[in-house]
Amino acid sequence: MQKAFLVDGSICLGCNTCAMACKNQYHQDTGILWRKVREVGAEDYLIDNNNILPTLVSYQKAPKVTMPIERFYFSLACNHCENPACVAICPVGAHTKDPETGICKHDQTICIGCGGCVKACPFGASKFNAKMGQAEKCSMCWERQADGKTTACVQACPVGAIAIIDLHDPKYKELGTSAPVGIDYAINAETKPSTRFIHPHMPKEIYRQPKG
Amino acid sequence: MSYSKEKVDTLLHNGISRRNFLKGLAASGVLSSFPGGLLEANEDLNTKIPYLGEKSYETFRNACPRNCYDTCSIKTFVKDGVMQFIEGAQESTYTRGGCCVKGNSYVKRVYSARRLKYPMLQVGGKGSGQWKRISWDDAMEIIAKKLLEIKKDDGTMLGAALTKYSGNFGITHYGIEGMFNSIGYTTRLAGTPCWPAGIDAQNLDMGNMWCNDPEEMKDSKFIILWGVNPASNSVHSMKYIYEAKKKGAKVVVIDPVFTEMASKSSQYIQIKTGTDGLLALGMQKIIIDAKLHDQKWLDANSKGFKELKEYLDKDIKLDDVSKVTGIPLEMIKELALSFAKAKPATIWMGYGMQRHTNGGSMIRAIDALVAVTGNVGKYAGGARYGHLSTWGFNYAALSMPKPEGSVGYTGPEGAKGEFAHGGGGEKAAYTDRFLNINKTARELLNSKGPKVRLLWVACKNPFSQDFDRNQLIRAFKQLDMVVVADQFFNETAKWADIVLPVATQFEENDVNVSYWHYWLSLNEQAIKPIFEVKSDVQIAALLSKHMNKLEKGSCTFPQSVDTKEMTIKEFNPGIYAQFGIKSWEELKHGPVKAKAVIPYADGKFQTPSGKYEFYSEKALELFGSALPKYLEVRKPYDKFRMTSPHSRWSLHSQFQNLEWMEDVHPEPSVYINPDDAKMKMVNEGDTVAVFNKQGLLRLKAKITDNVQPGTVLMYEQWYNNNIYNVNELVDDTSSDMGAFKTGAPGVALHDTFVNFRKI
Ligand code: SF4
Ligand code: SF4
Ligand code: SF4
Ligand code: SF4
Repeated sequence: MQKAFLVDGSICLGCNTCAMACKNQYHQDTGILWRKVREVGAEDYLIDNNNILPTLVSYQKAPKVTMPIERFYFSLACNHCENPACVAICPVGAHTKDPETGICKHDQTICIGCGGCVKACPFGASKFNAKMGQAEKCSMCWERQADGKTTACVQACPVGAIAIIDLHDPKYKELGTSAPVGIDYAINAETKPSTRFIHPHMPKEIYRQPKG
Repeated sequence: MSYSKEKVDTLLHNGISRRNFLKGLAASGVLSSFPGGLLEANEDLNTKIPYLGEKSYETFRNACPRNCYDTCSIKTFVKDGVMQFIEGAQESTYTRGGCCVKGNSYVKRVYSARRLKYPMLQVGGKGSGQWKRISWDDAMEIIAKKLLEIKKDDGTMLGAALTKYSGNFGITHYGIEGMFNSIGYTTRLAGTPCWPAGIDAQNLDMGNMWCNDPEEMKDSKFIILWGVNPASNSVHSMKYIYEAKKKGAKVVVIDPVFTEMASKSSQYIQIKTGTDGLLALGMQKIIIDAKLHDQKWLDANSKGFKELKEYLDKDIKLDDVSKVTGIPLEMIKELALSFAKAKPATIWMGYGMQRHTNGGSMIRAIDALVAVTGNVGKYAGGARYGHLSTWGFNYAALSMPKPEGSVGYTGPEGAKGEFAHGGGGEKAAYTDRFLNINKTARELLNSKGPKVRLLWVACKNPFSQDFDRNQLIRAFKQLDMVVVADQFFNETAKWADIVLPVATQFEENDVNVSYWHYWLSLNEQAIKPIFEVKSDVQIAALLSKHMNKLEKGSCTFPQSVDTKEMTIKEFNPGIYAQFGIKSWEELKHGPVKAKAVIPYADGKFQTPSGKYEFYSEKALELFGSALPKYLEVRKPYDKFRMTSPHSRWSLHSQFQNLEWMEDVHPEPSVYINPDDAKMKMVNEGDTVAVFNKQGLLRLKAKITDNVQPGTVLMYEQWYNNNIYNVNELVDDTSSDMGAFKTGAPGVALHDTFVNFRKI
C-alpha cells in the first residue's frame, strides 16, 4: 500500500480550511503550516539549494502557467514519497516509512533538530521549529487513521478536494497526474512523491466587460 | 521571554498605557496554566499536541454563532478541561464533518493571548490608552450608578442606548436586548446594516423572506448565482452546487467581480455594477416574448402580471439593457431562454447586490424573473435570499418586563429589526426609542429629548463595521459613558470607558439556527470560562444585582442566571414539532433538521392579495413604485467605484485578528484592474493611497482583471496589527429599501467612490 493525497485543483476553493484544520488538530506554532494551500500561477520559482543530498541527482520544476490571481489552488503537505529523502538522511531514525501504509512519519520525541530533513526534502515539507529546536511535518494523521478516522484536512475540506488514495490500488491508477502546473514543485524527483493532482481549469464561457 | 505572575499583576493593577496594556495582555497569557498544561495561552509557546484517540476526549456539542450562512454544527474535543480541537458535526449533512478556515481557528480564539481577560476602565478617558483593571463588581456598580443617574435626571431611561448586532446570533444572546428591556424604556440602534433592502423586496413580492433548503440545489437544473460568492462565504453550499454541475446543470455566475465562485462556474458573465435589476427585467421580457413564461402558474398565483408585461413592453428596450449592463444582447437572450427552459431552475441572490441605492428594486426584479418562469414554490427552484422560518423560539431571555412606573418614548413606533420576535403583545403607552443603526454617529450626535448619555455595545464593533469614523469618534467622545462587551481589544474598545470580557460559545450554553439552511444545533458549555470572562446574559444578571442593590426594583432581569436553564427556556412545542424531536436533550446526540417544506408550494403568500405580487400597493405606498421597475444606481462622486465584499478570512471584524489567521492571510491589499493600474502607473506590490471625501487608506496593490476597469476592490476586515479599515471610506448613504420590515433602510456600501495614487 502507498497512501497518497489526491488533490483536485478543479474544485479546490483555496479556502485554507484544510491548512487550518491541521493547525486545529496539532497546534503548530505561529508561522508554521504543515499543509499549505498553494496558489496556481502565483509562486516565484526559487532556485533552491535543497538539492544537496547524494541520493538526489536533480529534479525538474513544474511548468509555469498564467491564471487569474487568488482563484486556483493545490493544497499540499508532505508527499509521503515512495523513496523519502527525509528518512534517508535522518541520523536518529525520527523519520520512518510505515511499511504497511507507506506513510512517512516523523517522531518529534526522537528528533534531535539537526535540520537535515528540512534541507533534504525537495518540497519543503519538513519544517524547522526554531523555538523547539526540532523538525516537524505532516505524518498523514496516522494516529487518526489508526483510530478509524480520516485525516483532519480531508475531513474538514468542504468540497472533497483532498482525498486519500492508495497508489498501489489499480482503481486509482488513472486518477490524476504526478506533475502539477503553476507551483514551485519538483517533478520527477527521485524521492517519488506520491501526491496526485487534478489540474484546475477556467470556466468554459467567460465574458468580461470591454475596456473603457 | 519570561513573565512573573507578580509582574503581570502589577501591570494590570496600575493605570497603564495602551502599549503596556497590550503587553500586559500578552504577558498574562502565562497566568493561565491550564490543567493538563497541553495548551498555553502564550503564543510563543504553543506547539504540537498529539492526537490521542477519540476515546481519550470528552466531547461537547457546539455551534458557530457567527453571522454566516453556514451556522456550522460543531463537535468539541476536550481533555482535562482544555479544548483540544474541534470538528464539524457528522450528523449534519450540511456541515458534513468540517467547519471553514475560521471555524478551525476557534481553539486559538479561545486561548489567544490577545483575548480580553478582565474588566478594564479607561482611566484617562476615551482613546487615552490609560487603562486600569477593575473588578466585575466595581465595573457594574459604575454602570448601574450611571443608569440610575440618567433615570433620575431625565425621568426616563431613554438616555441609555444599546447597539447590538450580529457578533453572536445564539438565541440566548437576545438576552442583551432583554437586559435593556429590563431597565425601562431605552434607546435602541435599530435596523440592520446587512440585508434589509432585500428583506423588504422579498416581503413585498411574496409576503415573507423564505428560501428553499440549500441542499436541494443538488437537483436544480440551472443555477444562477447572482452577486453571491459561496466559494468564499458559504463553502458548505458548494458541494450541492458542484453536484448539480456534475449532473449536468449549468451554473452561471453574474457578478461585477470574477469571484472565487465565478472561477468554478460553467459560465461567468461580468455585469456593470448596479445594473442587475435591468438585466433581470430584460431577461423577463425576452422570456415572455418567446412565450416561455409559466402562464398557468402566473394565473393561479400572481397579481399584476399584466401590469408587469405592459411595463416591460413599453419601457424596457433590449438594446438599452445591453448597453447599460455592458453585456451583448445575444448573450442575454441565450441566458434568458436557457434559464426559462430548464426546470427546476433557481437563482441565489447575494447580499452585496442590495447594498446599493437601488438594491431593493434589483432584488424585486430578480424575484420576478424566478416567478415569471414558474420556479417559485418548486423543489430545487426558488428565488433564494435567506429565511427565518426556523427561528420560532420563545425569546425568553429577551422578554423582560419593564420596571414598574417606567416612562418611555411616545413618538411613532417603528419596526425593530429583522429578528424582532416576542416581547409583549399589548399596546403600551410608551415604547423604546429607535435610532437608525446605519447612521449611528449622526443619530447619537443629534439625539435630543433626552440626549443619549450611555451607550452599551455588544456583539458589534461599530468602529470597524460602521461608517463615518470621524463623526463616530465625536459621537463616542460626547457620551458620558461607553461600555463595550467583547472578546478582543478592538477599535471600538479603544473608544470605550469600560470594556467587559465576554465568553466564547465554548464557555456558555446556547442554541443556534441558520438563516440559510434548516438545521438546529445545541451549544453546550465545553470548558470553564477562562480568566474572568462572562457570557452576555451573566453580565446582564450582574448588572441587575447591582441596580437592585442601589435601587430596589430598578431592573427586572434575573439576578443570577444559568446559561443552560436560559437555553432550555427557549424551546417550545412549535420548535419540537418543526424539528421532529421530543425534547431539547435529543440535540445532545447531534443537530437535527427541520421537516422539509417547499416555500410557497401551496400557493399561499402572506401578501395583501395572498398572491405573488408583481404589482404591490404596499411598494407603491412606501417606495413610490408598485412594479419592480428599473432604478438607476447612485451617480459616481469620484473616479473609481470601490467595492468592499466580505473576505473568506473573517466574518466582519472577527477571526482575521487571530494569530493563526495571520499565518494564512497576513495583510490587506487593494485589487486594481491592469488598465487602471497602467494609467496610474501603479505596479504589483506598490503601496498606494486610496482616498475620497471620507478618508484615506494606505495599502499594497495587487493588479488583476478579477476586477473590472473602473473598480477597485478591498475586503472588509479588522486586523490585529494593522489600522486598515475599509469602512473609513464609506459614507452612510441609504439604500432604497429596508424601512418596511427592519425599521431603517440599509446602507449603499457598494456605492462608494474613490481615487488612488502611488505613494
Ligand atoms: S483542499 Fe479543500 S479545504 Fe483545502 S483549500 Fe481546497 S477546498 Fe479548501
Ligand atoms: S515530501 Fe519531503 S518530507 Fe515528505 S516524504 Fe517526501 S522527502 Fe520526506
Ligand atoms: S494529513 Fe493530518 S497532518 Fe497531514 S496535513 Fe492533513 S491534517 Fe495535517
Ligand atoms: S464561519 Fe460559517 S462556515 Fe465557518 S465555521 Fe462558522 S458557520 Fe461554519
